[in-house]
Amino acid sequence: MDLRIAGIARPPPVTIAAFGRDIQAHPGESVAAALIAAGQWRFGEGEDPARPRTAFCMMGVCQQCLLRVDGRLVQACLTPIVAGQVVTPA
Amino acid sequence: MMFDLAVLGGGPAGMAAATEAASRGARTVLLEESPLPGGQVYCAPPQGFVAKPDRDRRDGDALRAALAASGAELRTGCRVWGLGGGPLVPAGADALPFTLSALGADGVPFEVSARALILCCGTHERIIPFPGWTLPGVIGLAAATILLKAQGMLPGRRVVVAGAGPLLYAVAAKVLAGGAAVAAVADVATRGEWLRALPALAARPDLLAQGAAWRARLLAAGVPVLSGARVVAAEGDDVLSRVRILARGVERVVEADALCVGHGLVPATEATRLFRARHLHRPEDGGWVPMLDEGQRTSVRFLYAAGDGAGVRGAAAAPASGRIAALAALADLGIGEGHEARRAEQAAALARATRAGAAMARMMALRPEMVAAVPREAIVCRCEGVTRAAIEQAAADGAATLNQLKHHTRCGMGPCQGRMCGEAAAALLADARGVPVAEVGFATGRMPLRPVPMDAILGRFDYADIPVPAPAPI
Repeated sequence: MDLRIAGIARPPPVTIAAFGRDIQAHPGESVAAALIAAGQWRFGEGEDPARPRTAFCMMGVCQQCLLRVDGRLVQACLTPIVAGQVVTPA
Repeated sequence: MMFDLAVLGGGPAGMAAATEAASRGARTVLLEESPLPGGQVYCAPPQGFVAKPDRDRRDGDALRAALAASGAELRTGCRVWGLGGGPLVPAGADALPFTLSALGADGVPFEVSARALILCCGTHERIIPFPGWTLPGVIGLAAATILLKAQGMLPGRRVVVAGAGPLLYAVAAKVLAGGAAVAAVADVATRGEWLRALPALAARPDLLAQGAAWRARLLAAGVPVLSGARVVAAEGDDVLSRVRILARGVERVVEADALCVGHGLVPATEATRLFRARHLHRPEDGGWVPMLDEGQRTSVRFLYAAGDGAGVRGAAAAPASGRIAALAALADLGIGEGHEARRAEQAAALARATRAGAAMARMMALRPEMVAAVPREAIVCRCEGVTRAAIEQAAADGAATLNQLKHHTRCGMGPCQGRMCGEAAAALLADARGVPVAEVGFATGRMPLRPVPMDAILGRFDYADIPVPAPAPI
């Protein structure tokens, strides 16, 4: 089952490279949402096994979803998907 | 560039404030972090996404259209990390115009100046910690709303929805409508609390009907709705796989791949704290709020606050408070005249919307019994890995205030700057000391207000061009 809710028109999907695999996502979606839809809840191991990197607040407050997009440190929840992005752990 | 008025935050309060000011002749700029104005309740979908419009979308679109027509300058996708002017000048110096330092959507730093500043910074979510809340698959209730409404995405296939307030039922109903299963709804409020809130909600029959429809849909789908219930643990290996819920003395284990949990909304007061405005502790408004007069004026001259950031009252009440703030700023700046009739009309609208909003805010207020139930090993400050046990140790060692707790434990000193843990940490510190929560105070506002790359602050330079004096002989 796709987590994307049916009945919403979206731009055609593009491919990004996330944590070493190709995933499909729609331009304009947040990187965090696209990763969740691809089954990738863990965004990195962080500093402590009890606190891995992941999405939590989805509004740019908690800073837990920090990762690198094309080498730049960004918050996954505030960064829109663009074709060809390369997503790696922070 | 110098403006008469800057508005920080483009939710319903900020959009309405900027629209009111600009359409009455003030040179106005609105700065917003998201790619499009709207805030969380009225957030616009990404470009190219088209969904069937609902009431929130229509209300948001009306505010966006009015803003676009008003002549206010709109800067979206920008991260405001620094504020200056006002009282933040050397003692005895004149209050300078306010300055806002920001990082643009293009990554290029910029600054704007304004004679007056309206803060419409909204809220963030309160989370009372429990073991496993840091596990991937656990997200906030407001976060779930953003996923569902702005991104058109389900948080999981089998979802537990837990916490307090009307968001609980909104999220559960949307998860169900989106085609996923709701494994359980765990409401910390009892049925009695909801019944007592009903008279205040009668002023908003639309909200009441919406709430009843959400509940009916959940019951028709056979979703267990547990009252007086809280999550005691989220468990799983790499990601969430089950949730332990305690309801009226009975613990049950529910399989789930996502848990959406939130315990209310906390006004975002970092900017008013930074300006050293006076604050009041009002649990029924969400916690610490800036002290305001009837024109939404803070204790700092030419500084105003509106919307949920000034006390949680909901999106329906926010535009009126934004307009009142704008009208007060125009009067204080001497721009235009004849604002009084409009002010009176907006004050009446605010009073109407506030009654239902206040009843909902009370449902979402901090619950001391939940704070008392936090286990000692639970992580409170997620950025720095500070547990309740560490907070209690700090209290025993003499930490009496939230600022002193920072010095003892680094609690609240990570990249979220205490936004996620500040309230829970204050409540736990107060509990350990046996004093009212207001007595431990709040963390002093500090820049940068948002994490910002060093090069945005330093500007571009070539290391070789920096003059280095020759070492002096000893």
